[in-house]
Amino acid sequence: MVLFISELFIYTWCRVQCVKTGYEISKETDNNLKLITLQKNLKIEIARLKAPRRITKIATQQLGLIMPKSEQVIIIP
Amino acid sequence: MNTAKTKYIKLRITVVGIFFAICLASIGAKAGYLQIYQSSWLAKKAADQYERPFKESGKRGTIYDANLREMAVSINITSIAAYPPRILNKNAAAKAVAKALGMDTNLLKRKLFSNKPFVWIKRQATPNEVYSVKSLNLEGLGFLSEHSRFYPQKTLAAQTIGFTGMDGNGLEGIEFYYDTQLKGSDREFIVLKDALGHGFNSEKTPEADYSGSNLVLTIDQAIQYITEKALQEAVADNSAKSGIAIIMAPRTGAILAMAHYPLLNPNSYEKFDKHLWRNRAITDPFEPGSTMKIFTVAAAIEHGNSTPNTIFYCENGEYKIGKDIIHDTHPHGWLSLEDIVKYSSNIGAYKIGKKTGSEALYRTLKDFGFGDKTGINCPGETQGTLLPYKKWSAIDAGAISFGQGISASPLQIISAVSAIANDGVLMKPFIVQAILDQRGRTVKRFEPAPVRQAITSETADAVKKILMTVVTKDGTGFNAALEGYTVCGKTGTAQKINEKGEYAKGKYISSFVGFAPVENPEIAVLVILDEPMKNHYGGVVAAPAFSKIAQETLTYLNVPPKNRKTDRLTVSKPLEKNKVVI
Repeated sequence: MVLFISELFIYTWCRVQCVKTGYEISKETDNNLKLITLQKNLKIEIARLKAPRRITKIATQQLGLIMPKSEQVIIIP
Repeated sequence: MNTAKTKYIKLRITVVGIFFAICLASIGAKAGYLQIYQSSWLAKKAADQYERPFKESGKRGTIYDANLREMAVSINITSIAAYPPRILNKNAAAKAVAKALGMDTNLLKRKLFSNKPFVWIKRQATPNEVYSVKSLNLEGLGFLSEHSRFYPQKTLAAQTIGFTGMDGNGLEGIEFYYDTQLKGSDREFIVLKDALGHGFNSEKTPEADYSGSNLVLTIDQAIQYITEKALQEAVADNSAKSGIAIIMAPRTGAILAMAHYPLLNPNSYEKFDKHLWRNRAITDPFEPGSTMKIFTVAAAIEHGNSTPNTIFYCENGEYKIGKDIIHDTHPHGWLSLEDIVKYSSNIGAYKIGKKTGSEALYRTLKDFGFGDKTGINCPGETQGTLLPYKKWSAIDAGAISFGQGISASPLQIISAVSAIANDGVLMKPFIVQAILDQRGRTVKRFEPAPVRQAITSETADAVKKILMTVVTKDGTGFNAALEGYTVCGKTGTAQKINEKGEYAKGKYISSFVGFAPVENPEIAVLVILDEPMKNHYGGVVAAPAFSKIAQETLTYLNVPPKNRKTDRLTVSKPLEKNKVVI
């Protein structure tokens, strides 16, 4: 009888642990997905910020840069 | 008595025992029946109570430029839906949701009062809109995650890349052509749910496993931007209706830039006219005009009828053939074949064409790819018009020599000019260089593919020398000259054909096509302006744009200039403060 009851408790404990771990896995998976989404969004943001149109605008209007003439270009081998 | 009572008790025990034995046997039999014969059905029924199936579409693949910078990406976005039977107060719900989304209340009411079990409220809503609607805490609304296409470079190469519809299907451009490869696959997975219906411990596979393939283009974002900017300025400066520009690497056939103006923002394509959606550099044929003289002289030299020094009488600017009269912009007497190209004499080109002969001219044009599709990996390509020479009328051979009675796409023209730059070898143009799987491994690579030797390398060299004279001081294409680089090129001015099939007065297509540096051609550039209003000569309208595009692109590509004046980096405007060269 003691053995039977012990087995019942152990089985119940195992099931509870299993469910608890299941919730933890779900939570971490969600976190992982959120981080992947954030990473992707940041990559898109980088792509948007590095757009040639935007860079040119900043270079010419804010920094006062201009396109070099051919004789001003030094090509580093 | 005792014996009788004992017997009675035994009998009762036996009866009760038999009764329980029958009961237990029945239960055993039923248990056996359920466990053996009904087990699968029961297991499924039980699983239905704690498992929830989910269906999800894989993300569409990314489109990268040649340097793996994102041109088109898929993002997660939320769509708002409603389950009308589950909404208690539909009037109040419609009013609140319409206010939150800035929608028409009546339209929303019609949706909520419909008999449908599911209706879309707003597909691909913004995060703010989703937040506003969620804050209402209404029963019967659903927030479904979907994938949406986003083009971070906005208008850059928009007509070439194309766009997708609301359901993620490619509708135009490369998005359409490679729809099957880009599309993710659908997949199903099981989520376990608890007593409250909350999901946990899902069997999700990694997203990458069912996403679509990625594409790597030959287009370079920076070159594309240089081209679009110069084209936009040229269209504005000349009050033109529209413009097209293409840059090709002559040795490989790779398209480095393919620009259109007016621009299109694929993130909101529905707000633009439909005629701006297509890639006109590939789909639209036009009469090329004087740029065709390049191939006329190539045919003449290739078939041994003429040399660059052969002279032709150009009739002092006016030549009558039957009912038709051919004009030159400036009157010329005797001109060499080289000068006919340099001064762009139509009469001279007509006479070269006649001397070369219809068959030889036709075969050379065919070898350059006119009248056939180039086979580029983009949808809707036109093959242009080049009738078989046996169907040519008496004037056709002459007219085709200066670009009338033939039509070609901008892509065909730049491919043919690239063949001259590439020692006579015609390359197949391509715009997608590789297909990568979800993990970045190469699935397919598109290598440069020679189509045929259109003309011999000796003829190509002779044509190059002729084309260099076009960009000299008294040539028609002087405005295309570059600082530090040698250029070959040809201007083109073609009268447009109206709906009646007649040449429209005052409506021209002006173009310039060329390549640089001549010694080792890195780029071939074509600029076309449709209906420029201020001036219509290709040398005045399109050549400056060519010069700007070629100069900046060669600098960007680190092509060393010839005859460098100084090898020191200097400030362009030394008197102005805070000006530094990029």
